[in-house]
Amino acid sequence: MAPADSGLQPVLCGEVRTSVLRTSEALTARTAVQLLNLRPDEHVLLSERPNLRVVSPQLLTGVDCRLPAAGGSRPRAVGTVAARAVLTEGRVLQTSAFARLVPSEGSHRRAWGHYLLRPGVVEPLARHQARDVVDGFLAAAPLPGGVLNPGAVAERLLDHVLRHRLLDQRAPFKSGRTRLRWAALPAAEGAGASIERFTVAADGLRTVALRTPVADPAAVAALCEDLALHDWLLTTLLALVERSRLGSGDGEAVLAALRPLVDHLLHLWMPGARVPDGLSGVWETLEKQPGFSRQWQTLVQRIRDQVAVQTAPLSRRVLASS
Amino acid sequence: MLVFAASDKGGTGRSVTSSNVAYRRALAGDDVCYLDFDFGSPTAAAVFDVPGASRGVAAGGLHSHLQGRHTEPHRIDVWAESEHDELRYRPTGSGRLVLLPGDRDGGEFAIGKNTVRRCVNLFLHLESEFDVVVVDLSAGRSYAVDMVLEATAQPELQAVLSRWLVFHRWTHQHVIAAHGLVFGERGIVAGGVERGHDKGALRDSIRFVRAAVPDPESSLWSHVPLAQSEWMRTCDRDLTQLAAELDLGYARLLGKIPLEPVLQWREQLITDEDVLASKVAGMATRQALEELAAALVDDEAWERQ
Repeated sequence: MAPADSGLQPVLCGEVRTSVLRTSEALTARTAVQLLNLRPDEHVLLSERPNLRVVSPQLLTGVDCRLPAAGGSRPRAVGTVAARAVLTEGRVLQTSAFARLVPSEGSHRRAWGHYLLRPGVVEPLARHQARDVVDGFLAAAPLPGGVLNPGAVAERLLDHVLRHRLLDQRAPFKSGRTRLRWAALPAAEGAGASIERFTVAADGLRTVALRTPVADPAAVAALCEDLALHDWLLTTLLALVERSRLGSGDGEAVLAALRPLVDHLLHLWMPGARVPDGLSGVWETLEKQPGFSRQWQTLVQRIRDQVAVQTAPLSRRVLASS
Repeated sequence: MLVFAASDKGGTGRSVTSSNVAYRRALAGDDVCYLDFDFGSPTAAAVFDVPGASRGVAAGGLHSHLQGRHTEPHRIDVWAESEHDELRYRPTGSGRLVLLPGDRDGGEFAIGKNTVRRCVNLFLHLESEFDVVVVDLSAGRSYAVDMVLEATAQPELQAVLSRWLVFHRWTHQHVIAAHGLVFGERGIVAGGVERGHDKGALRDSIRFVRAAVPDPESSLWSHVPLAQSEWMRTCDRDLTQLAAELDLGYARLLGKIPLEPVLQWREQLITDEDVLASKVAGMATRQALEELAAALVDDEAWERQ
């Protein structure tokens, strides 16, 4: 797996977009499979334990572009970006695009047949510093035009799936999309997966830098999809709780605002449930600091307390009138 | 909800009034997003007093997004980026106020299938995130109007509530022009029907807003000679009659904005500070904007036939 030139480390990179599925009711397993049947020649993956997760076949997009680089020199790169759509509990849709950067043997572009045999591999045609590419890729600013941009691939796929006619376009609550852009370098010999940084930027952009012993971009992408899902859940819950004016608004309005959260979101929390072997160390770090689950549990408790407090007078009224 | 702000001609106060409506909705607690679809002259950022974007942004604005040159259209959080003293502090209980500016060197562009697809995606995306999405369209029967008529005719947008505000000044010519823009042979309704809209439903989703309306009963005119005051009343009456004949009457009227120097000259948001403290803007204007913002989301106002 190590490249011929040991000075060049393989870089894995990708981006995950997360959005609520625009339908009034969560999809069942059967309709979810129909929704994500993006290629007639390949099967949709369905798994129902420990939660319902449906994964589309992998799609390829050919790219001939520049590599992002913090240092300025942007080598040309050619290959294919892999993408897939993932639906969790029929409610949260994610699209994920990723690639492995593998140094090319020559400095010229080859015939497309060469690249099609290497799905999800992008070959830089010139030398580059892996760290420089990672830094350029994770810079919070929008990526310049003409530069490798898995996010654009993921965005197009997300818009495509969200327009499916199975969807009634009526989401149960308003929510934004998040973008999680990630890059991974190989971990030191014998070390497990670790997270170097996790940043939350404006406009729903998150960046994650990883070290991983796993060289399969699809496996690392699965970890990042799991991170993105839980980050989106937390972001969305925080925004909706703020909007409900919990603690200051009038009781019935607060209840009405909290209802969709109880119906559609609270049962989705399951960090690490789908993380491939060898990558679980990342969640352990995040649970310690900043403590995703701690914040989630506190919010959930707050919502449940509010629901209990607000319903008590209602039930008293019902009892009195019966 | 998608709200399309259109006008027969320039100078009707469409941008400044619809920006004020967006601002009032955000104050009322809605998450609001304002799209500058005035491709010829994107100036909405100036109304919101956002530095560096007053004539559109250098890159990543709505034009380049719709033409496929940028995946993510640039977003401006007005509460965070405005230099307006009153806008810099987001009031408690208010919603988000986000501006999607145009590109500085935009200009009108031809509309193909892909542009419409991107436009539908953009509307669906923003509608799932914001309570109110205000789309400020270039004046007249522009490309922008054609594009949104085409986009809203697509099946995916059928479930999304769309409302049209047509702004016109309160003059003989403007009333006739506004009628032409909506009901004329090449008007919004005819253009919509051509693209598959239901005629009745589209007509019922359109309301007029009279801008820069002089009020003959206002104290401003209390010292003018009797003959002039009589003349003003007669004009107003004639215009009212003309509007009714052209189907721009009470049933299709959503709001009336008085003639207001601050709107005309400063072209900015009218804040409570302008009305109550510095008193540069009139109470009647603030009231009119507030009523218009309320009427926008009041289903009863949209059920009158």
